[in-house]
Amino acid sequence: MAGRSNIPANNSALIAIIADEDTVTGFLMAGVGNVDLRKKTNYLLVDNKTTVKQIEDAFKEFTAREDIAIVLISQYIANMIRFLVDSYNKPIPAILEIPSKDHPYDPASDSVLSRVKYLFSADSVASDRR
Amino acid sequence: MATGAEVLRHMGPDRRVEQVEDITNAAAAVEELGGDDEEILRFMDSADGYLLLMDSLSAALRQGWLDLASARHSMGASRVSSVLFDHKEQSAATMLQVDYSADLQPSESKPHFALSKWCLQEESSSGGVICVQDGTKPKLRYRGSEATPGDGSRESDASAAKSSTGVDISNQVQSARSKELSVFGKLVSPKLRTTQVSFETALELIVELANSRSTMLSGFSQIKRRS
Repeated sequence: MAGRSNIPANNSALIAIIADEDTVTGFLMAGVGNVDLRKKTNYLLVDNKTTVKQIEDAFKEFTAREDIAIVLISQYIANMIRFLVDSYNKPIPAILEIPSKDHPYDPASDSVLSRVKYLFSADSVASDRR
Repeated sequence: MATGAEVLRHMGPDRRVEQVEDITNAAAAVEELGGDDEEILRFMDSADGYLLLMDSLSAALRQGWLDLASARHSMGASRVSSVLFDHKEQSAATMLQVDYSADLQPSESKPHFALSKWCLQEESSSGGVICVQDGTKPKLRYRGSEATPGDGSRESDASAAKSSTGVDISNQVQSARSKELSVFGKLVSPKLRTTQVSFETALELIVELANSRSTMLSGFSQIKRRS
């Protein structure tokens, strides 16, 4: 978080975060925070004033940026924009749904594990037979 | 086998050819099924690994939140707050190295992520970047170095440089860690340093999770393609 001016090398990529205050603070302490020339950050702090539109925009921006390799999103926030998270299927940036303080991780709502569920479900077998 | 041959002997030549074809087809089908099973098992293994890693991540994050709450308790809520974040231009000290095979289709690709912690811009004339790479043993990464594997003298120079910088690396990492915490003041609670370490552990787990996820998705697309 201290003011360094070195720019990331081309083969390096960033980790973006969309999470609550404590999670973002913790990861910024671990050295993940990046602010570019245009004052664009690689994190979005979500509190009770943050709108769904802001979360959507941040998610779209982070998944479109070429310098980001992983997008961390608290699962309860991912649930607010579930349609966007589920429709995303690119390998990079990888979307990881992480637990938050008040919301433990639920494998049933994770977009990656829902694919596993689909693969072994009756719907999947029926659609393959058709 | 003997009984099979006897049965074939009692049959006519056409019937025998048909029977052999049937057996061959059945064997191919069983082989194909075996291959599918193997892929499915590998896929399920990666899904299991993903869930185990997620459990470890939850534990690491819980520890981090607890340490942060303790730091906030000892330093005061106003001194450990997101309001203090520096919005000046700065680059991330911890980054990822992505190994990505571009020749494959997007659905088949399996990117590999590696964590480069505390990348420090060297003050020396070489202008290289030193990072501590994630692993069982911390290693140095030299980017922008001119040393080539075939060049013995340069290699020995590089190893000498590594040993000399190796002494200072822990100090440099410590100073990088302190820089990150400097937004919270010069004198910070030891709990804040513990928080930093907990979130570093969480980051290592996140990179493992990302690798597990890419294995899982590549397995998923292979199974989908076969079915």
